[in-house]
Amino acid sequence: MTMTARWITALLLVLCLPLPAEERPVSFRNDVMAVLAKGGCNSGPCHGNANGKAGFKISLRGEDPEYDYNSLVRDMFGRRINTATPGESLLLLKATATVAHEGGKRFDHDSLEYEILKKWIAAGAEPDPENTPTVTEMQVTPRSRVLLEPDFAAQLSVTAGFSDGSKRDITRLAVYEPASLAMKASPGGLITAENPGETTVMVRYLNQHQPVHLAFVPARPDFKWSSPRANSYVDRHIDAKLRTLRMNPSAVTGDHQFLRRAYLDLLGVLPTAGEARAFVLSPDKKKRQRLIRELLDRPEFAEHWATKWADLLRIEEKALDRKGVELFHRWIRESIADNKPVDQFVREIITARGSTYQNPPANFYRSARTPITRAETAAQVFLGTRLQCAQCHNHPFDKWTQDDYYDWAGLFARIDYKVLENRYRDGLDKHAFEGEQIVFTAMKGEVKNPRIGKDSSPRFLGRTEPIDDDQDRLQELAAWLTGPENRLFARVQANRIWYHLMGRGIVDPIDDFRATNLPSHPELLEELTADFVGSGYSLKHLVQVIMNSRAYQTSALPNDTNADDVINYSHAQVRRIDAEEMLDALSHVTGAPLEFDGYPEGFRAGQIPGVHAVAIRRSQITDADKFLQVFGKPERLLATEEERSCTTNLGQAFQLMTGPALTELLNNKNGRLDRMLAAGKTSGEMLDELYWTALARPPSIAENAAFSRHLEQAIDKRAALEDITWAIVNSKEFVMRH
Amino acid sequence: MNISPSSACSSYHACSVSRRHALKVGGLGLLGLNFPWLLKAEQIAKAAKIKPRIKSLILLFQWGGPSHIDMFDMKPDAPEEIRGPHKPISSSADGIQVSEHLPKTAKIMDKVTLIRSMHHTMNNHNSAGYYALTGSSPATDDQRLRDSPDLYPTWGSVVDKFAPNDGAMPTFVSYPYVIRDGSITPGQHASFLGKQHDPLFFTQDPNSPNFALPELTLPAGLTYERLQARRELQKIVDAQTRLMETSAETRGFDTYYEKAMAMLGSERLRQAFDLSKEPDVMRDAYGRTTYGQSCLLARRLVEHGAKFVTVYFDDSIGGQSTTDGGWDTHGFNNTKMYPIIEKRHLPITEQTLPTLLNDMDSRGMLQDTLVVWMGEFGRTPKINGNASRDHWPQCYTTLLAGAGVKKGFVYGASDREGRYPAENMVRPDDLAATLYHMFGIDPETEVMDRNDRPLPIAKGKPVTGIYA
Repeated sequence: MTMTARWITALLLVLCLPLPAEERPVSFRNDVMAVLAKGGCNSGPCHGNANGKAGFKISLRGEDPEYDYNSLVRDMFGRRINTATPGESLLLLKATATVAHEGGKRFDHDSLEYEILKKWIAAGAEPDPENTPTVTEMQVTPRSRVLLEPDFAAQLSVTAGFSDGSKRDITRLAVYEPASLAMKASPGGLITAENPGETTVMVRYLNQHQPVHLAFVPARPDFKWSSPRANSYVDRHIDAKLRTLRMNPSAVTGDHQFLRRAYLDLLGVLPTAGEARAFVLSPDKKKRQRLIRELLDRPEFAEHWATKWADLLRIEEKALDRKGVELFHRWIRESIADNKPVDQFVREIITARGSTYQNPPANFYRSARTPITRAETAAQVFLGTRLQCAQCHNHPFDKWTQDDYYDWAGLFARIDYKVLENRYRDGLDKHAFEGEQIVFTAMKGEVKNPRIGKDSSPRFLGRTEPIDDDQDRLQELAAWLTGPENRLFARVQANRIWYHLMGRGIVDPIDDFRATNLPSHPELLEELTADFVGSGYSLKHLVQVIMNSRAYQTSALPNDTNADDVINYSHAQVRRIDAEEMLDALSHVTGAPLEFDGYPEGFRAGQIPGVHAVAIRRSQITDADKFLQVFGKPERLLATEEERSCTTNLGQAFQLMTGPALTELLNNKNGRLDRMLAAGKTSGEMLDELYWTALARPPSIAENAAFSRHLEQAIDKRAALEDITWAIVNSKEFVMRH
Repeated sequence: MNISPSSACSSYHACSVSRRHALKVGGLGLLGLNFPWLLKAEQIAKAAKIKPRIKSLILLFQWGGPSHIDMFDMKPDAPEEIRGPHKPISSSADGIQVSEHLPKTAKIMDKVTLIRSMHHTMNNHNSAGYYALTGSSPATDDQRLRDSPDLYPTWGSVVDKFAPNDGAMPTFVSYPYVIRDGSITPGQHASFLGKQHDPLFFTQDPNSPNFALPELTLPAGLTYERLQARRELQKIVDAQTRLMETSAETRGFDTYYEKAMAMLGSERLRQAFDLSKEPDVMRDAYGRTTYGQSCLLARRLVEHGAKFVTVYFDDSIGGQSTTDGGWDTHGFNNTKMYPIIEKRHLPITEQTLPTLLNDMDSRGMLQDTLVVWMGEFGRTPKINGNASRDHWPQCYTTLLAGAGVKKGFVYGASDREGRYPAENMVRPDDLAATLYHMFGIDPETEVMDRNDRPLPIAKGKPVTGIYA
């Protein structure tokens, strides 16, 4: 009943609106185009498709009103419009499904949509007079709201401002698109939900769009804020939102879990039994803070975090060759170890030229070989912006136009290569190189903008005026990109560091920043960004801020109020540990070395700079290399974190149960198992060592009892020890980061 | 877009609640209770309604988009820039002509149904590939359509959910590639149906001399009984934390262990994957290519009880090389389509497709198994400036052979120039509905997506015109 009541209210609201036609003639651009959007007619799957639909094509989301006018009024010999008998217009017959329409019924005969179209047609289906005002702004209220159960309905109200200074309520004409399928939007802007949750609703009117954030919060009448301790501004922001959502954060996790988490997140390796015991048993009140600082200075930190950049900068052998891979990776490692300011690091990449062997960051351009690739990669990696859509048409969910796209690409137009040598055999493969190259800036060269059929005018993303072309474009770009007026850069980098520690970006995906993808904690992101900039773009500083927060140190176990939460950091995220982490952890526990094609024995997976040191087609890859593939180490073909997969699958279960990589490690004759047996350790001592090494904790009473029995009853002690090691490394506690 | 509050709203709500209840039971199932009987009951109810027409299906997915006009929908009377340089030849089926480069394939046309009126409007490989493999149109024609658990499951996963196998043989097997165009193409797994309905997937090359699934081979010294004992020890460690209870990701990983245990215990399963059991002459007949041996393996897997086998032609859209890659022959980078398909794609097809159908026919397997050969779209009727053809989803041909469908039959037709369906348009939605229906699964069966939204497994209508 409440739903029905709400609907009646919404309907009344709609009926109370002044009908546009009473005041002024129906405008093609301001009314008819709005109806085409409202009906979904100009969406991608329908007539906004590049090929149109059923012979009728209009521009995607109405980006080209002139084209749409012609399509409606002039194409098909004008049959879509019948000014003599408006009701017989094909446009109306189709939209109301009076005649067969693949897209079904879009609106009824008594709807406002119908009335607008009919009036416009009856008035002659004229284009707008020259002086018709154009929309210049849109106001949506509320911009954000928290709704408490059972009141799960939010009425949005939308006003448009026009070039003549007039304002108009367009609530009934705007389009509402909830990002979550669980929320529904009425034509009149009433957003309802059946279940608790958060969503962004995109509100669109012509070329204006704005996101609205809605949180539907369960009543939880017994809810009591647990007043958890806030370690810093990080926790204060997170707590403020949790409290609004009536959720309590989970408890702070225990020392052994924290230790394991910190080692994996910072170093990609597990602590040794000795390190684990020392930390857990230490009475030092500040031991967590101290540990974080110490780990940041270890070489594994630089290696582990270099891997994250290596994924993004596409450090792989096919384009860079083996030498290039190792040089570029070393350059990144050293930058991280030196805590080189991230802005400087990026400036050095953007402006890099010269030999890819002499100046390693020039390898960035060696793998991104066209202006388009360079432009898309730079936007995605350094500005968290996915421009790809705007290559062919204005971006449907963002502000970027085709001109923006090509003008940005123009900045990278003059990069060229002098291939000093190419020993790669397959001449057909234009992406593979083996040998030294010089990256240089050519004197000439532009990117053509196909929309205007002319050269683009190089321009920074989001800026209106072209660059001063007397200077080196890449120097100018680097200065602007990391300069004070472009806050987005710092925000994206701060968010990326956050993501790698917290498992989810405040803006997520982390390379998809746009007005329509709202941050979960906007104020927190701003403060992290300011902190990051203030620290001199210091990676190590921001890592410490985040890891010292209570939010980072929260247990992975949910409580009664936060079990469904995935975006508010109420409890730590549980995910499978990364491919390299997993393999190195297995080697660490078994005390046996790994074998990779092209690397010396004992090399850790986390130290591998590239993807395939030896081309896979030319030789069989080792079991360890295969293991990394199965566990989602990326091929580094895309400049995005998403290429790395931490999902689980059947193949991974097989690898851990019977796979050759683990089998070899367990069988290794010089490994931990044989060493413990040779040293004549007792069952208890052996179990203790295995547990501390693998899980950073002692065995529980139940584990001790069961496993001691298994060892003592066994005729073949080594086999029993293999079984136990197998059981531990297959446990969820081992394979998950939690 | 008048979304009115549905009067069925309350009843579907009730339905979703009962499902959540069922899922809770399922959750307990993981900790010891048993869940499959629920599925079983569901199946029996469905099966009672619709008589299955096929028992299994082999999908040969031609990634990149083969040219309909140069293979199964020749247009000899069209102008030269449309008909292309190849000539048609007649086939073993009255009125069906195929390319002169497919003489052996021509001899098996009396076993197949051609749908020449396939149609959709997704122009990019990833959006079109997802559409083709799931029967669900993506929201946008997005070149880098992002894989997401909100997207539809692929056909095999739907079969895995609603008509699963008994025993250890996986219902759904796919190989030997992950297809991608810049990013991984969605539509290759179970998506919102849940990971437990993902295919058994591998990238080992069946054409490699030491092809074997190491997964199915127990390492030396490890008996199945010992592995079972280890699994019991593992459960002791797992009982120490509440991860299994509180994390769906963790539980999901454990279901793979259950599945793996069942598979490792099966001798029959090992046999199925052992291509060395095939005589050399048979292996030669299929062609010593990854694709040829993959098709031979598909036959063995179906013989051993798999219900849905997907073979991907290649992992890349290709089209620019005679040694690797799929069917995407635009003529980019100074390559030309015809020399490439004459040297690579047509000969491979010509060797393998007729061999598979003849072999299956002689074993009586076409009685209950359907073979589907299709790409994500066709290619432009008009030859482009590079003497090649671009993407054309508006009209293309899908080939079906075996159980459930007519023989030597053409369904639908393209217009004179192969541009649009002239009659009986079939969308991927309809093809999905048809295949589910043939499996005895009601295409209108509703599944819940991640947001508990009831969605039909197929949005189209079965194309009963092709039914035998």
